[in-house]
Amino acid sequence: MSVVAQSLTSWVDGEAHLDDVTLTLEPGRIHTVLGRTGAGKTSLLRVLAGLSDVDSGDVLLDGRSLREVPPWRRETAMVYQQFINYPHLTALENVMFPLRRAKVPAAEAQRRAKEALEQVGLTHLSDRRPGALSGGQQQRVAIARALARRARILLLDEPLVNLDFKLREQLREELRGLFSGVGETVVVYTTTEPAEALMLGDEVIVMHEGRVAQVGSPAVIFETPATTAVARVVNDPPMNVIPGTLQGEHVAVRGLDLLPRASHLAGFADGPYLVGIPAPSLTFGTGPGVLATITFVEISGSETFVHVDLQGTELVVRAEGIHDVSTGDRVSMTVDPSRLFLFTEDGTLAAAPPHGRS
Amino acid sequence: MATLTLENVAQTYNPGEDPDRWALKPLELTLESGRTYALVGPSGCGKTTLLNILSGLVTPSHGRVTFDGVDVTSTPTRLRNIAQVFQFPVIYRSMTVRDNLAFPLECRGWPRSRIEERVRAVAEALGLADGLDVPASRLSADEKQLISLGRGLVRDDVAAVLMDEPLTVIDPQLKLSLRRKIRQLSDEFAPTVIYVTHDQYEAMTFAQELLVMSEGRLIQRGTPEQLFESPSSTFVGWFVGSPSMNFLRGTLERGAARVGEHLIDLAWSPPVPHGSEVTVGIRPEYIRIVDGGSHPGDASETSVHGRLVAVQDHGESRVCEIQVREQQVAVKVRREVHVPKVGSFVDLGLPRSKCLPYVEGRLATCGD
Amino acid sequence: MSRWPRRAQYLLLIVWAVFTAMPFLWAITTSFKDVNAVQGHVTYVPWLEFEPTLEAWRQIFGGAGGVNLVGPFVNSLIITVCASAIAIVLGALAAYGLSRFRYRIGPAKNKDIVFFFVSQRIMPPVVLVIPFFFLLQMPGLLDTRLGLIIVTVALLLPIAVWVMVDFFDNIPREIDEMAMLEGCTPMQAFLRAIVPNSAPGLTVAAMFCAVFGWNDFFFAFRLTFTQVQTLPQAVVALNSSIPPWWTLSAAALFGIIPLLVLAVLVERYLSKGNLAGAVR
Repeated sequence: MSVVAQSLTSWVDGEAHLDDVTLTLEPGRIHTVLGRTGAGKTSLLRVLAGLSDVDSGDVLLDGRSLREVPPWRRETAMVYQQFINYPHLTALENVMFPLRRAKVPAAEAQRRAKEALEQVGLTHLSDRRPGALSGGQQQRVAIARALARRARILLLDEPLVNLDFKLREQLREELRGLFSGVGETVVVYTTTEPAEALMLGDEVIVMHEGRVAQVGSPAVIFETPATTAVARVVNDPPMNVIPGTLQGEHVAVRGLDLLPRASHLAGFADGPYLVGIPAPSLTFGTGPGVLATITFVEISGSETFVHVDLQGTELVVRAEGIHDVSTGDRVSMTVDPSRLFLFTEDGTLAAAPPHGRS
Repeated sequence: MATLTLENVAQTYNPGEDPDRWALKPLELTLESGRTYALVGPSGCGKTTLLNILSGLVTPSHGRVTFDGVDVTSTPTRLRNIAQVFQFPVIYRSMTVRDNLAFPLECRGWPRSRIEERVRAVAEALGLADGLDVPASRLSADEKQLISLGRGLVRDDVAAVLMDEPLTVIDPQLKLSLRRKIRQLSDEFAPTVIYVTHDQYEAMTFAQELLVMSEGRLIQRGTPEQLFESPSSTFVGWFVGSPSMNFLRGTLERGAARVGEHLIDLAWSPPVPHGSEVTVGIRPEYIRIVDGGSHPGDASETSVHGRLVAVQDHGESRVCEIQVREQQVAVKVRREVHVPKVGSFVDLGLPRSKCLPYVEGRLATCGD
Repeated sequence: MSRWPRRAQYLLLIVWAVFTAMPFLWAITTSFKDVNAVQGHVTYVPWLEFEPTLEAWRQIFGGAGGVNLVGPFVNSLIITVCASAIAIVLGALAAYGLSRFRYRIGPAKNKDIVFFFVSQRIMPPVVLVIPFFFLLQMPGLLDTRLGLIIVTVALLLPIAVWVMVDFFDNIPREIDEMAMLEGCTPMQAFLRAIVPNSAPGLTVAAMFCAVFGWNDFFFAFRLTFTQVQTLPQAVVALNSSIPPWWTLSAAALFGIIPLLVLAVLVERYLSKGNLAGAVR
């Protein structure tokens, strides 16, 4: 019952949208695909759905090639980031549409559609057309339509990205519950938001520049990112990655004072490396430390992301809670050396800090 | 730049309507020169009405609007000297970037050399100095929106810049950079800015001060930190922060809140009689999971017992959902913190100073 | 602000309204006049200024001394309705293809193909009429309704394609993709997901086709002779050395009726809100 992507490669205008992507997607599991815009996430979904061709590679369902199977015979449901519904049909008719196409008897289709609308909390609006619904409600209809089909493959392409912050938070919660009832469906969910990928995924697939950068459980991906690229996408804000050197008892990082070499960095030869400084390992204050200038402040949910300029090095600090700090303020920076990541110069993970018992 | 004041301003579209149903309930407001404000709230909360009153599109049915002390209550929009950025970029597609930026100055009869100088300065700040002769129709949506803003900024005498959900039509992927750019521009040019949005992320990142509105009322005004630390209502507690503030319903007993078998100490005792309903508001960040055997809570903390029903991995932190009697409490802990198995019973430590009392949805005043 | 500019605006609008309504008023009154009433200065009020008569109307419906316009009217109606319907169907299909799939004919891409369609209407009709003449002559379709329908379809197709391509381009592509993922073949996706949401575009295209088709004189004039006469042809034939203004007026009003009906129907449809907000 699994879906296998076999070295999918797709070039468009001399640019690799997918570059040798090989994956095994298991039924009943939620696969979240995490990556920046342009990392190949949408391309992957479109190939799985049969909406785009590949230059080479194949998609197998139960070992059978889907290459010659057109989209309308693939039993694939999709939720787009734009809220796509049929404008001329009511919410209920929208959800029934694919069921009727699949020759489900009318009564049965209606029952299942009503059930799906109830799951997404839209029973009271099932007679409305999409134009009379809010963005969040429209996306709920789209999700209900995809769920009601019980398709073999369920693809969701950044379904929450166009919603407001609070609505996103709420729907993300609900999706966890909705996904728990998908049974034997293969679910693939793309996102640019690390928290979303980690929270929803049984397995996280990190994509970077058209390639699969790492596949693993949320804990593995977060705690031991295979490359600097993974380390950056899986952290919000992205991990600071700065050239540095191991020198005897110390770690030297441009802009910062010499840091003591923590125990997890023992056993590595002295020399140049890339040092990963997670944004939460940095703290700013008024005490002693290296002085930095605040260049930009973002508030995300309940965290403050403070971007600073440290003698020419751009760093981002993540502070818990919401703090009133202003652009242009001078603050002192300190780093927790026990939380540093070490990457070789080509960006491969060398050492990760020991994490909590997870 | 000007200081904007609203004196007892209210708006109803049907004279004689019940004041409780007015689109905007009576409001006193001073917006100081050179500061950035965000008007936030769900749709229909009155923020657009308020914006229209400031811009002059709507003459308020009650009260007075002044700009730097001058009464402008019934002054039409074009005489108020304000700049507006709408949801959809408003630019002259047939003109070049330069002509678009120069247009407001030409209309005011500025000398050519001064226009050129000013346009160049603004274009540089917008990051469009290299493309001054590009026709505006060739720009991307976010660049067009920057030009809309730039047209407001070129006028150095502009009283205020009003922005109405300026990021609505921008691709989510470009929103971050545009938001950052707009923030930097307003830092650099320091106009009085009123920014309307229903997205708290946008509002908090953009504005020095937030005005939270709901049902035609200004519910709370303050810096992001103030809204986070002491939300004036349960709505603000929900709206600001992620996950939202926890609210535990209970009754007042000896100055504390009785929730089932727990008596939760409050930051202060609300001035309501014994036995009244009181809701404890506490942020998920401030709740501690008391690890079996490690330091139990001291007097500054109330211990609450519950069952762990779910754990969400957010990467840097985890959010634990704990069932306390029939109520849910979210607790946010850092990744390093040990989290027991789902289904097990845990003790929570609720610091007294962070347990805020809410009565009828409003933060209670200090009773002492 | 003084109120004068506002008043001046109203005044201007009234003048303009009178200016545009006058010809209709003139035609209506004239159609109830006879030769005597037309002479002298212009009169408008029946019974007071002139004695109304139904003579003109009798003449165009085959009364003595007149020409029966009913036959040509039916011809025009059949030709316009059939040609418009065919042009809309073919045009919508072509436009959907041009909007959704990529074509290449030599160096020409989709945009060029659309322009090629439209360019048919840029050419002066005289250039087209000669090839049409020979094309119809060979299968013996000159002077037949069918022949005229075929020619009219060819004339209307560019309009339909042009209007519909633009319309389909504005319907999110994801809607048809989704329909396909939900079990529709491309053709079913078009019929079930796109067509039901294309009422505004189809209405506009149909309106253009109907108006152009109904008003065509030139091609009918050159491609039919005695058997098939269309309304515009017949109206022109009414003319003689002394223009019979009364019958001309009645004929003109008679010829406007279908367009009026169309306008009312479209307006009804528009105001029902069926079109507004159908597609974001």
